[in-house]
Amino acid sequence: MNPKRRKRIFRAVTILTVVAVLGCAGWIMACRLGLSPDYDFGAGAYYYADIPGFESVVRDDAYRTEVPLWVHIVLFLGWGWLMYRLWVWIDSRKP
Amino acid sequence: MKTNLSNLWKKEDWLAVWIGFAVIAIACIAVLTGAFDFAAAKFSTWHLWENVAEKKSLLAQLNGAFWVKLLRTFLVLGVLFTLGVKLQGGKIKEYIPAFLVLFVLSVLVRLISAEFTLNRYLEWAFWALIVGLLISNTVGVPQWLKPAIRTEFYIKTGLVIMGFSVLFSNIAKFGLYGLGIAWIVTPIVILFMWWFGTKVLKIGNKPLVITLAAATSVCGTSAAIATGAAAGAKKNDLGIAISISIIFTILMMVFEPMIIKAVGMNQLMGGALIGGTVDSTGAVVLAGNALGAEAEQAAVLVKSIQNILIGFIAFFVALFFATRVDKTEGKKVGAGEIWNRFPKFIIGFFVASLVASFLIQPLAGSDSVKAINGVLDQYKNWCFVLAFTSIGLDTNFREIAKQMQGGKVLWLYIVGQVFNIALTFFAVWLLLSGVLFDVPVLDLYK
Repeated sequence: MNPKRRKRIFRAVTILTVVAVLGCAGWIMACRLGLSPDYDFGAGAYYYADIPGFESVVRDDAYRTEVPLWVHIVLFLGWGWLMYRLWVWIDSRKP
Repeated sequence: MKTNLSNLWKKEDWLAVWIGFAVIAIACIAVLTGAFDFAAAKFSTWHLWENVAEKKSLLAQLNGAFWVKLLRTFLVLGVLFTLGVKLQGGKIKEYIPAFLVLFVLSVLVRLISAEFTLNRYLEWAFWALIVGLLISNTVGVPQWLKPAIRTEFYIKTGLVIMGFSVLFSNIAKFGLYGLGIAWIVTPIVILFMWWFGTKVLKIGNKPLVITLAAATSVCGTSAAIATGAAAGAKKNDLGIAISISIIFTILMMVFEPMIIKAVGMNQLMGGALIGGTVDSTGAVVLAGNALGAEAEQAAVLVKSIQNILIGFIAFFVALFFATRVDKTEGKKVGAGEIWNRFPKFIIGFFVASLVASFLIQPLAGSDSVKAINGVLDQYKNWCFVLAFTSIGLDTNFREIAKQMQGGKVLWLYIVGQVFNIALTFFAVWLLLSGVLFDVPVLDLYK
């Protein structure tokens, strides 16, 4: 397929996708789908602190673990550092 | 290593840190001593066209207490930002009237975004962009308003304030299961999107790629704001990443629980999948709720861990951009140069988080921290609304179309999100299905 034609198809598919996504989002909002009468918030509450009464939504002791906090922190930092090194390696590769 | 001490009170990054710390300190004193009220203004939900049993009017909430809070918000932010602008060498005679108008526009944004349906799905970031864009692309932005358009300054300050709400103790909330689902998957998705965006789609705008990757894999708007600021993303980049994330979150909030139900996945796995993939925390709670109580709790636990990641991801992104993206070809970047380039507000973010996690929480208790965060959250939101309205005012539609790079940016998000869902599902299956480990039991008694 020649590049011009491929570009045209890509653009058409992108425009159709954008229209479908926006239409779908508009329809969800108009029909007020996905909401719960129990809660006075929706997808618009991006961050947990934006949710009114978040402490009543999440239980601090819903799960208890025997693994100490420091083990979590070590694993957290270790994995983070490993992934950073991998990122540097990926970035140094030629496309 | 050459360090200029005056940077501490002259540079935007440091000033954002000091302003953030000042707001946090005043909020702590106000809540812990109970000596005075420091709450910022907030519009409660109101109805415009909805056919509901109890219609809440906008006018009913505009009482004396509301106006006092609004005046307080204006004075606190106005005084602190004016001082910051003055120390950076700006002209306060030009800044004050411009800030006043920007604040009025921000009040309008928060008023619109408190309307029931708009608030449920889109809230302030989206409406701030829309209001700003409408003005800049119709009547235009007058010259006298421009001194107040300081997007990065407001964002950095908001992020430092937000740091106080990031509590390290949340890391163990769902034990190693939560860490496995939230933390193993997230960086892999970021790296995949980086590779796909920069190497396959060949998107040259690297800050946009990383901002979108963080929004997709971590937690939408908040992660995009932090990462975008750390990578030095352009204003349009942030607007695009957040708009895409917000619109797709609406779809995922409704369709993901439907699909999970249809395939017969159990509540624990379904909830964890939602917590790891749906971007905004509000949408996570509701999508989990649609599956049941256990799913809701699992979703929120996984999301709580993802919320901690924001600062760390921003830190690594800042380090990566300081050492690799912004460097001259063939030149090694020394420690002094890394320090000069490193965005200092991230240090403020971490300090605020450490103080809340290891000082205030152990000394004053979780309830006090929650009460302080209740106050700080509104100041954070006001800072971000000022920032996003500024972005809208500083953007035109032609620039946005150009930034989309013929649709590549949209496909980066879609492919990245599909990869995110597939990988999170794999992690959830591995950890929670019982094939390798014991299935955890959640205490759902409230």
